[in-house]
Amino acid sequence: MADSPNPDWMNQWQAMSRQYMNAWQDMSRNGAHGQASPVAPVWPPQGFDQAARLFSVGGGQGETIERLVDSAKNYASFMQSMLATSMQGGAAPNWSDALRQGFASMGGNAPMFNPSAAQGWQGMAGQGGDGFARMMSAISAMKLPSNGGVDEIKSWFNLPAFGMGREHQEHQQKSVVAWIEYQEHMGRYNALMLKASQRGFELFEGKLSEREQPGRQIESLRALYDLWVDAAEEGYAEIALSQEFRDAYGAMVNAQMRVRSQVQQEVERVATDFGMPTRSEINSIGERLQALRREVRASGMNGALADEVAALREEFAAFKASAKRTQPVAAVKTMPAKPAAAGVASVKVVPIKPAAAAARKPAARTAKAATRARPKRASREAAAAPARANVRGGKKSDKRVEKAVAATASGNFASRIEKFATASLGTPRGKLKQAEAPVSPKKKKKSKR
Amino acid sequence: MGPIKIEPARALEEALTTQRKLAAALTTLRSLDEVEFGVTEKEAIYREDKLVVYRFKGEKPPTAKVPILIVYALVNRPYMVDLQDDRSLVKNLLARGEDVYLIDWGYPDGADRWLTLDDYINGYIARSVDAVAKHAKVKKTNLLGICQGGAFSLCFAAMHPDKVQNLITMVTPVDFQTPENMLSSWVRNLDVDLFVNTLGNIPADLMNLCYLMLKPVRLNQQKYIGLVDILDDKVEMENFLRMEKWIFDSPDQAGEAFRQFIKDFYQGNKLVKGGLKIGAHDVSLRNVTMPVLNIFAEQDHLVPPSASRVLVDHVGTKDYTQIAFRGGHIGIYVSGRAQREVPSAIHDWLAARAR
Repeated sequence: MADSPNPDWMNQWQAMSRQYMNAWQDMSRNGAHGQASPVAPVWPPQGFDQAARLFSVGGGQGETIERLVDSAKNYASFMQSMLATSMQGGAAPNWSDALRQGFASMGGNAPMFNPSAAQGWQGMAGQGGDGFARMMSAISAMKLPSNGGVDEIKSWFNLPAFGMGREHQEHQQKSVVAWIEYQEHMGRYNALMLKASQRGFELFEGKLSEREQPGRQIESLRALYDLWVDAAEEGYAEIALSQEFRDAYGAMVNAQMRVRSQVQQEVERVATDFGMPTRSEINSIGERLQALRREVRASGMNGALADEVAALREEFAAFKASAKRTQPVAAVKTMPAKPAAAGVASVKVVPIKPAAAAARKPAARTAKAATRARPKRASREAAAAPARANVRGGKKSDKRVEKAVAATASGNFASRIEKFATASLGTPRGKLKQAEAPVSPKKKKKSKR
Repeated sequence: MGPIKIEPARALEEALTTQRKLAAALTTLRSLDEVEFGVTEKEAIYREDKLVVYRFKGEKPPTAKVPILIVYALVNRPYMVDLQDDRSLVKNLLARGEDVYLIDWGYPDGADRWLTLDDYINGYIARSVDAVAKHAKVKKTNLLGICQGGAFSLCFAAMHPDKVQNLITMVTPVDFQTPENMLSSWVRNLDVDLFVNTLGNIPADLMNLCYLMLKPVRLNQQKYIGLVDILDDKVEMENFLRMEKWIFDSPDQAGEAFRQFIKDFYQGNKLVKGGLKIGAHDVSLRNVTMPVLNIFAEQDHLVPPSASRVLVDHVGTKDYTQIAFRGGHIGIYVSGRAQREVPSAIHDWLAARAR
């Protein structure tokens, strides 16, 4: 701003700031309008810290309050910086520097544009994120040469490894090289952020010079601040949309992912040594499970299962209604509330809580417990089942019972599907593919029955 | 004449006002309750994994015969459409007689890591559409896709035109590579395979960080300095905090779906260039033959208008309507103007096609 064509407005600003500071000092001495201020004066940032401590006890709005306090604090620093400059004695203060410092205190520098650059990206949670954070803090003490020597260092870590521990050594060397490259790319990214900040200030100067006409002048501190924000965002957008930024951003993120990946591999190796499950194994299981779900859906099994459950629900409702008609009320009330996993008795509870309850207890234990603890109920149900079978008629009903048992059987999703498929189609799992081959709706219906 | 004309008395007054507001804030902020959202009564009509399809209940029964199913983006929570009593797209649609359903995707976790776009669009959305049709006893439904949900709805409508009566897209990206699309520019050189293989599901905080960096000074600082102006107003503060909660209450992104979305939509721009394949289906916007209403926001920094308005050049329908809303990506749901203009526009457009 030293070469700014606006010395007049700087003089104005200087005069205004002197008056402001005088008034402020008076007010600070006497309290605002002679009244005791309920909080510390606004501009010393300590007041905001005090407020932040108070806000932190006020419910779940902590993060917003923190951001508010941080922003207000920066705003106060911005004001203080410029007012202090205005109070300089002797020669005319350097307003160019004052404005630059003032807006730098507001964050008009690279870290402001990118709080992530220093903390966000590095501290980002994710798989292996903690390990990454620890590693970053451990190796951040390493100082890279400012120029020239980086390639030399990298070349040392690219030396081949030998012998028994060569795989581990090679992995560690790769990790260090990945980290060095990440630092290089982060440096390039931060340099562009700084460039964006400088561009913002250039635009700010331009915007100020456009405000000289009466009616367009800036009349409040907030308006001055808002004008700076507009300029800062414009400057940032110019850089952030450039090809150079696109390249630097992509390279920085990719480099960080390579570091994370190296750390994750190391963590997995240690986990394996300790006999612990790893992320790769869990991923592998998840991937297979999702593939199986798709396969089941594609085969139409899911729809068939739903149809069967619906049919069983109807059947159960009918049976319940007939049981109410034929049995004393007290007997109905003693029906088991939880499904037994095996035996005919389980059929009756399918509509209530089928799979979930069965999954909670191993089948044998449940069945055993049911027989031991509630012999009367079991025998009552066992007696009821043949009666129903007779009414519904022979083999078909038996098959239905088998399918219902399979649907509520214990075990994981895949094994339940397999049992159900066997009960439904009478085919072992190996032949499922054949059974899934396209059939006409009529045939399909027939085979289901 | 210089550019700055700040009267010392006025500067002092600004300082005193700020001080007064901050002092009042000590009382106001501590008296605020935890903000609530989602004001309209609703019932769940379909559930699958973490997904729930809700039907909203208006004060009077709907008069529209074909229901609207809202398909929201995966990257934020859908309660933005029903944020509070006086800022609710849902409530305003219900008041006009529409029958409104919504897909709530839930919060994906590690178990959802392998969900693909096929699982989302030909799976979850397809079954949600069927569930709504069954519940409402209709053969087709109206789809209202928002943002990324709009892109999904376009794909769904292209693959299953027989299930969609009318398609409404709001702030929906179609051309993902327009010059002012900052997000698009940033991810163009991203090694998305390395990214997803390393992170698994994409953390919500990382997504939010990227959004904040689109306008870093405005979103990280100016917004909070502006907050000082309403610090002594409990109602306004609660409104602010409600919005703040929505912004940062973000689900993680299922890794595989994210991988495909970045590759095919942002990097490949296949929705307009062609060659997009979801599962076993080829997706061509030429198959979007039902009536289309496309609403975009003129000041949208996330989905620039240019990304959205090109839809007209790519869909196969002869009944295409476009509305440019004066506001931003979020203002289109919550601003005062949005409450007056958007629900009416949707309702009138649908009503004209129901005759």
